[in-house]
Amino acid sequence: MRPQRIVAVARFELLSVVRRWSYLIATFGLPLFLAAVSGTVLGAQTYFLTQRAAESSRFGLVDEAGVVDRSEFKDRDGAKVWTANANDVVLYEKRADAIEDLEAGRLRAIYVVEHDYLASGEVRAIQSQKTPLLSMRGTTVEPLLRSLLRRSLVKGRLETDVQERVLDPAYFVRSRLGPDGDKVTDVDEVLDLLVRTTIPLFLGILLLTALLSASGYLVQTVSTDKESKIVEVLLSSVTPEEILAGRLFGLGDAGLVQFAVWSSMVIFVALSASAALAAVVTIPWQALLVAPLLFILGYLFLGSLMLATAALGANAAESQKLTMGWAMLAILPLMVLVILLDEPHGVLGQAMTWIPFTSPLTVIIRLSVDSSGIAWWEVLGAMLVLALSTWASIRVGARLFRVGFLLTGSRPSLAELWRQAR
Amino acid sequence: MGILAYQGVSKRFGQHTALEGVSLEVVQGEVFGLLGPNGAGKTTLIRIGLDILRADDGEVSLFGAAPNSKTLDRTAYLPEERGVYRRAQVRELLEYLGRLKGLRRAPARNAADHWLERVGLGAVVNQRIASLSKGMTQKVQIAACLMTDPELCVLDEPFSGLDPVNVALVTDLIEERRRTGRTTLLSTHMMHQVEALCDRVALIHRGRLVVYGDLDEIRRRYSPNEVIVWTTMDLAALGVQATQNKTGGWRVELPPSATPAAYLDELVRSGVLIDRYEPWVAGMDEIFVNLVSGDR
Repeated sequence: MRPQRIVAVARFELLSVVRRWSYLIATFGLPLFLAAVSGTVLGAQTYFLTQRAAESSRFGLVDEAGVVDRSEFKDRDGAKVWTANANDVVLYEKRADAIEDLEAGRLRAIYVVEHDYLASGEVRAIQSQKTPLLSMRGTTVEPLLRSLLRRSLVKGRLETDVQERVLDPAYFVRSRLGPDGDKVTDVDEVLDLLVRTTIPLFLGILLLTALLSASGYLVQTVSTDKESKIVEVLLSSVTPEEILAGRLFGLGDAGLVQFAVWSSMVIFVALSASAALAAVVTIPWQALLVAPLLFILGYLFLGSLMLATAALGANAAESQKLTMGWAMLAILPLMVLVILLDEPHGVLGQAMTWIPFTSPLTVIIRLSVDSSGIAWWEVLGAMLVLALSTWASIRVGARLFRVGFLLTGSRPSLAELWRQAR
Repeated sequence: MGILAYQGVSKRFGQHTALEGVSLEVVQGEVFGLLGPNGAGKTTLIRIGLDILRADDGEVSLFGAAPNSKTLDRTAYLPEERGVYRRAQVRELLEYLGRLKGLRRAPARNAADHWLERVGLGAVVNQRIASLSKGMTQKVQIAACLMTDPELCVLDEPFSGLDPVNVALVTDLIEERRRTGRTTLLSTHMMHQVEALCDRVALIHRGRLVVYGDLDEIRRRYSPNEVIVWTTMDLAALGVQATQNKTGGWRVELPPSATPAAYLDELVRSGVLIDRYEPWVAGMDEIFVNLVSGDR
């Protein structure tokens, strides 16, 4: 292969793609559009929540069991009212009075602590027909009432410190041993889980998006060549390997530019929060470091296969269908993500590390979840297998590319393809 | 020594035999005509010569070696099924195709500008191909083909879709190549262009080489023993077995043993006043039709 020709093909393809409106819109317009939509949705949501929070909501409480601590309630406008988190809970002695106020629209809902509450634990929530069944206000007041009942039940029956522990028996502090087993680091469980699942998922989705986007352009170029009949001119000047490699690099660059623009927005947000995150969670730096290399190898491997198979299609739609299979194979690790997150170094994780279709994503997931469980030789081995597979796929792909390109009408038989690919 | 030589080349596509034992040579400095009806195997033969397809049997030599990336750089190809990137700009496309032939960026750009001027498209270098007419697009492709000054240029139907002015332009360009010792392989159905341009021809029919050799020699070989007589007299009325053609000449079929010179002598002696007299040399059109339809 002649590097100068590959560069010429790559440059032409790159410039052809990046000058298209569709590319510019997808690369720069889409993130801005998504940011605008997200900002609008978030802004509207915040506005309405603030508005609702400002509204005073009244609930009724009927204590038929006589267990509620009355001292928590204050006299206000001739009623006994307990206020918690902007909710007013009015105490009623009779259920009928509460229902009357509910029907009149003065209450959002009423809670009746039934006569046999101590035996059954039942508190009946009654809403008016106008109140939405899944009213947020209704659900937020219930934990507060539960807490009120708990305090009322233990009041005067236990010592103060025991009361506190009965009310809140355990606050779990999560820790993780350091690499040497000597240092214990406190971690925020929720944040840690979030980061450790979000990063693999995010990297995986970015990889797939970049891959599918770039391969979409690849398939498009093949269709353009077939429809414009320029391929004979190309094949009389450069080898199929050079066309294939040039396209892969050129359109891969276009994909990487897109990927970089998209991810830079996310990186900006992540960097802003990194100082705070680093204190409480473990950032999977190893995964982040090897990710670009795995992206490139994975793209070259799958891209060359996609180019070759796309050339066998009679038109753009058929080419897209033929290349779907490769995309599905690349998505496999995301399909079994739950298993990989739960057991990153299990049999499935280890097996998928060595399969070139699944290795980029699997290695990133394994490194993100637990970098100590994957050996360096496994990472290097996976990359080596991927590189060798890429070399083989470019060689075989180039031959199929030539066969597919010169097809007019009929598709070659599998036997013919095999003969050409050898 | 042929710069493009085929020796016993065969090619099959499934059950269909596209070429069967074809052997021919294109020699340096000539304009070689590759003729044949549609589906005869001409394009397959060209593709094999340029290493786009591989032969099942036989050998191909390009500049004395098996076709490879180095020898292919010395060629250029205008396929019958034209291809351009319609979204690309004219100069950009030519520069790209030049670079694929090994030119560096600046020489490719200069060559693109030069050849676009030569074919009368200097004013549209920055336009998109999609905005050009069919004829202009074809001239862009011809410019792309000639811009590297290839030693061997393969032109498959270069005249189709061109108006007479541009046919003359392309004809001049091919003549110029011959004068400078460059070789052109011309595949066309326009037989008067073959007669005007080609030194030697090969006619392929159903994948086999039917006729191959010097154009004039072939025309003589396939000409009937006939003469054309221009006279104001009615030859038919004089008892001569003759038919008058559109130009007013009388076409006379001679007996197998007679020669044109002897027949002229006989006509003069019988008192026919002759304005013009010449032996009938078959045109390539006639030879083509006779050979192809005779085998059908």
